[in-house]
Amino acid sequence: MIMQSIYEIKKNRLHHLRNKFTEFICQCNKATKDSHLFYRAINKDWLTAAENIKTRLNRNLAEFTYHLQQFKYLADSDEIKLPKFSDVFAELSQIEQDFGEFRFDLNEKTISVITDPIILNDIHFGAFEIRLCIEQISQLYCESPYIIIALEPNCAGPDDSVTHPHVRSEKLCEGDGHISIRKALEQGRLSDFFTMVISILQTYNPDSPYVSLDEWTGIPCYDCDCIIGGDDHYFCEYCSQDFCPQCSTYCRICDLTICLGCSYECPSCNEYACPDCITKCKDCEETFCKDCLTEEGLCQNCEDNRKENDNDQSKPNKTETCIAIQPNSMGQVNIHA
Amino acid sequence: MFTFNLERKIRMRILFINNDGSGFADYLEIAENTSVEQFFKIKMAGADASNYLIRVNRQPVPSVYILQENDRITITPTKIEGAVIRL
Repeated sequence: MIMQSIYEIKKNRLHHLRNKFTEFICQCNKATKDSHLFYRAINKDWLTAAENIKTRLNRNLAEFTYHLQQFKYLADSDEIKLPKFSDVFAELSQIEQDFGEFRFDLNEKTISVITDPIILNDIHFGAFEIRLCIEQISQLYCESPYIIIALEPNCAGPDDSVTHPHVRSEKLCEGDGHISIRKALEQGRLSDFFTMVISILQTYNPDSPYVSLDEWTGIPCYDCDCIIGGDDHYFCEYCSQDFCPQCSTYCRICDLTICLGCSYECPSCNEYACPDCITKCKDCEETFCKDCLTEEGLCQNCEDNRKENDNDQSKPNKTETCIAIQPNSMGQVNIHA
Repeated sequence: MFTFNLERKIRMRILFINNDGSGFADYLEIAENTSVEQFFKIKMAGADASNYLIRVNRQPVPSVYILQENDRITITPTKIEGAVIRL
């Protein structure tokens, strides 16, 4: 079963190389097309168009470099040498020797190794099960064929999916071990594979964890005290504290993130604004967001009132020309012809 | 009468598996009587041996162990930093 999977890796790697080749050619074609447009723009002195194409080229170069690296890595890789049956047997014996025991599930077709309890910076994460799915080894280039199961989970803050600084949703961030792990699986060196995975679990990389150990227990919201973790916390620029999504908002004028305590709700539009984006109406001196004041610095009500007053002053006095034709009492009245 | 004193270094083949960085697994020729410690200093120049798991023929060996023909030596780092792979 193991040898069949490794044989499939060899086949799939060539398929994968073909796909990467195709993607790389696609990127080359894009660059060629852009270069023609760029030359034409330069020749015709269309400098704005040339700048736009240059910006697009610059953005595409990053993708181009990535595809080139992926393609080169696969093209440079040595031919996969299939291990002998005796090598595979020796690997399984070594796993048993190194790790005490391993579990082989015939139904699920998995091999599992249980680690010792992992402790990083005095935080206990418990033991983990490294479960390698033999049939998925052949899909090495598409998805990871193994998962990391926390047997005594100590999850990060409110994020249950992170059970270790470098494990999320049972998937390991291999980091520096990515290539070596792939090669070990390609060559059937299962013992090396498990050894390297355990090395990653036992090493903390503070530069790139899913959740850092400093924030492992989560950050309390400054307002409601609930525990927030991961990317769910918002930093208020005014009071310099962290808040949960329910206790924070953003200024509708300048988009700055602020807490509800530092924000102001405009009585006119009912939107939130930061202290720098509010000001008082010159007439009524009530506070509004800048968007709800006119150029003269008036709120809508005061603006309307001013207009009404202006209209009243410009109307003529109608009582001077109005003549009573029929008085209420008897008598004479002058009627103009 | 001339006597010739020729020193001939006998070379032998071993399988070297390096699980550090981008990895390496292939046969090498080394001089006879090369110890594990000497081999590590040549192949892993600048590295601290205490940060690696060194096995010969799948067994832990002392640093003074002299490598033999067709030995399989594996060097695996004990500290590997995990990280999110970002584009």
